Amino acid sequence: MPDFDKLRALAKETISRDDIKYLIGWRQGTYGYRTSPHFVRIPEDADQLIFSPLCSSNLATYLALAEKRPVPRGSQPDTRKVAILVKGCDSRAVVQQLVEQGIKREAVYVIGCPCEGVVDLRKLEEKYPHTLDRVGARWENGNVSLDLPSGNAVFPREEIVAGKCLTCRYPNPVIADVTLGENVEVSGSTAFEDINRFEVKSAQERWTFWRDKFNSCIRCYACRNVCPMCYCAECILDKQNPAWIQRSVNISENTAFQLARAFHLAGRCIECGECERVCPVEIPLSYLNRKLVKEVTEQFAFTPGVDPEAKPLLVGYRPNDKGDFIL
Amino acid sequence: MSSKPKIGVYICHCGINIAKTVDVEELTKYAVKLPNVRVASDYSYMCSEPGQLMIREDIRKNGLNRVVVASCSPRMHELTFRKALVEAGLNPYYLEIANIREHCSWVHKDKQEATAKAKKLLQAAVAKVRFLEPLQEKEVDVGAAALVIGGGIAGIQASLDIANAGFKIYLVEKTPSIGGRMSQLDKTFPTLDCSACILTPKMVDAASHPNITLLTYSQVESITGYVGNFQVKVRKKARYVDFNKCTGCGLCAEECLLADRVKSEFNMGIGNRSAIYLPFPQAVPAKYSIDPHSCLFLTRGKCGKAPKCVEACPAGAVDFEQKDEIVEFKTGTVIVATGFDVFDAARKPEYGYSDYDNVLTGLEMERLISSSGPTGGKLVLGKGDGEYVPKEIAFIKCVGSRDKSTGNEYCSRVCCMYTAKLAHLVKDKLPEANVRIYYMDVRAFGKGFEEFYDRVRREGVRYIRGNPSEIFKRNGKLVIMVEDTLTGKPLEDEVDMVVLGVGLEPRRDAREVIDLLRLSQSSDRFFLEAHPKLAPVDTAIEGVYLAGCAQGPKDIPDTVAQAKGAASSALVLLSSGKVKVQAQISWVNEPNCRGCGYCVEICPYTAIELVLVNLMGHQVNVARVNGVLCKGCGACVAGCLSGSVQQKSFMDSQILPQIAALGGKL
Repeated sequence: MPDFDKLRALAKETISRDDIKYLIGWRQGTYGYRTSPHFVRIPEDADQLIFSPLCSSNLATYLALAEKRPVPRGSQPDTRKVAILVKGCDSRAVVQQLVEQGIKREAVYVIGCPCEGVVDLRKLEEKYPHTLDRVGARWENGNVSLDLPSGNAVFPREEIVAGKCLTCRYPNPVIADVTLGENVEVSGSTAFEDINRFEVKSAQERWTFWRDKFNSCIRCYACRNVCPMCYCAECILDKQNPAWIQRSVNISENTAFQLARAFHLAGRCIECGECERVCPVEIPLSYLNRKLVKEVTEQFAFTPGVDPEAKPLLVGYRPNDKGDFIL
Repeated sequence: MSSKPKIGVYICHCGINIAKTVDVEELTKYAVKLPNVRVASDYSYMCSEPGQLMIREDIRKNGLNRVVVASCSPRMHELTFRKALVEAGLNPYYLEIANIREHCSWVHKDKQEATAKAKKLLQAAVAKVRFLEPLQEKEVDVGAAALVIGGGIAGIQASLDIANAGFKIYLVEKTPSIGGRMSQLDKTFPTLDCSACILTPKMVDAASHPNITLLTYSQVESITGYVGNFQVKVRKKARYVDFNKCTGCGLCAEECLLADRVKSEFNMGIGNRSAIYLPFPQAVPAKYSIDPHSCLFLTRGKCGKAPKCVEACPAGAVDFEQKDEIVEFKTGTVIVATGFDVFDAARKPEYGYSDYDNVLTGLEMERLISSSGPTGGKLVLGKGDGEYVPKEIAFIKCVGSRDKSTGNEYCSRVCCMYTAKLAHLVKDKLPEANVRIYYMDVRAFGKGFEEFYDRVRREGVRYIRGNPSEIFKRNGKLVIMVEDTLTGKPLEDEVDMVVLGVGLEPRRDAREVIDLLRLSQSSDRFFLEAHPKLAPVDTAIEGVYLAGCAQGPKDIPDTVAQAKGAASSALVLLSSGKVKVQAQISWVNEPNCRGCGYCVEICPYTAIELVLVNLMGHQVNVARVNGVLCKGCGACVAGCLSGSVQQKSFMDSQILPQIAALGGKL
């Protein structure tokens, strides 16, 4: 097993502080290569923390969505900070939540974890199906090393990590109160090759593609629930009166849902890829998101979730914006 | 309220505007069959008195509780029909307009298709009207005072009119004296009145008026609030001269070490002043101030052994310890009369304004030729031994106007006449001089303008049609390169002096005023009026009015007329003491609001703010709409991701049925 002593020591030290409510990190899951979010409330809990290439989930989702329980009369709300472990992409979610005032800076203690890319579990599942024994993993000289039941296996990064990591421009946290380990080299680019390749297809081809994908959507809303930017108290998708989108699962309502979700993320999506990871029917949602990221980058030269002082993109107007899209 | 909708549908022919393209009879037959519709009628002019009567009678007779009018844009007659509803005892917001003119008959040719579309639009309106809710129009009190920004002729006139009507005025002027551009002019066209002679009585009136508080050498720092209740903060800059002690005797200026060594802004840099100065002899208030940028004591902390002005002042008014002062007050309305700047002639380098001393702008010529100017009205150029009287004098018009290369496509409206006037004054002072005016067109559109233009030509001023391409120096003379476009001949004209008829531009510090009030600009960068024809002194912000050249180039009579218009608009509010505010405003469903502040940033009227509320013991941010500031534009509604902001009469629950009806579901 990799060495998590530094991480656990830091977590213990953090959770022992008077101004920390709890710490959110990762721990080994119950089986196979799964990992789970881990809420550390007492120092002993920290002994289960891990940080490895298997820790793909974006914990920032738990910040803005934290339940606000009624405060009993006569007592004060707990205003202590929440400590959170973030990878580069996760840190952008934290920043974007700060920009949108979803959380306050003084309410969060960010522990940055520079990341060399997380494993795409689907790729792993293909190679080693039905693995039940727990699997450990670590980064090793640019490769990903896995401790499988069958023994150690090393894969080149390109072969095993998630697609989003191959184009990642922010492997190092953009915001952190303390950073664990050394910053890693940035290798991603702003070239939207995947989107460009898709855009050149005919409208018919693209629609056929999406119709098939949307047709398979079962409206489980996992993509919305996992998204760190979807934290409205009541999502418009859940509204009954008026119902913008009907609950029936069919191509029309599914399409409306998927497009509404994508548009609500325009200028806000920080490309953590969580929506695509959790989709049980494997809809390539990052295509939709990244198409909008591309527009936002090219039209407005804007990158969400980088500058906590920035104004949200879609509420401002700059006279020097390109405006190619205005007819 | 919750009773079943009983809808009346009224379809307007608009003469043949609608009836020619839309089959109104078929539309009426169709309307009767729509759900909840009790009556449907068509009429040639629904907005006419008989048309309105039809609606009123139907409401009474059939007990209608909703009305749909299919006619022109709601911008035209929504108010007309709302009044009809009120007269029949119905809440005016139970009305929905289906725009079958601008959205249908005017933009389509095929009658069958247009009728089909009109049906859809009508059906959508009927679908929506069922869900409309009654709204109440609120009124707010209007503070009995007005702020006027800018102390030129526009600001002075507006102030006097409002003050004479009995309301309090705060007149804020940035420079040490009121008077503005008009005080810099020599004579005024076309009557040749002495500008100062007709202006100074008004300046004195404004200063001595019991209802006017004059805040000169002051700048508005912030304006918050809304129509009827503006909170204004003004910075009174330190004059370093005790306002109450100064008698305006001028001894200080004579003794100043920099006497006659600081360029005079009032004289456009042609004459000089001292560091402690009165901008011009008739300045109001006649109080001296010290220019902190040139005063030796203020810039270097030392001026001889002791500042001479302090010794010279018999009243002991000089006070270097003086600090800026902040004045705060409330007003009901605001008039923006911030005026203009003249075009910077250096932006047309081909005319050599930056290179040659004898190339002047029109405003500099005004000062040179004015009897109160630096030369006492003598038309001479050069200094000391080099002084000479020009004999060959040329004017060039449209410098910085009607010129895409400078970004100013507009006509400045005053240059034709002021060049003619200056040419006349030159002929008056130097009858022997040869005066010519290079022009593109002569636009003598005002009262007495054409006659004046004729008179100037009779006096021997030559008008040559051509736009000079270059001015350079040869053998001590200025050479104008130009093509006479009437004869097609290129000319090289040797002259002693060139006067550039520079145009008018928005003030270079206009941005500050925009930021204060969130004013809009038109494409010429002047402040934008609410409507170019029907609301030329109003702005998009209620209670804020425009006067004078801040809105666009104008001559003095037009400026005064507009100032009186702005004053009258302000007085409508001030004298009624109440103003109705928009009823179709937005509101926030607070439990659902995520407090992101998108709407706060989006709102063009600063009507929304984030407030901390107690949510079951937690302090959370939610957006809150100020119902008086909200103009009902709906931008916040579109920007809200959680759908927590809704606009009355345009709520999701009202618009969705409308959209569904367009899609064929009702």
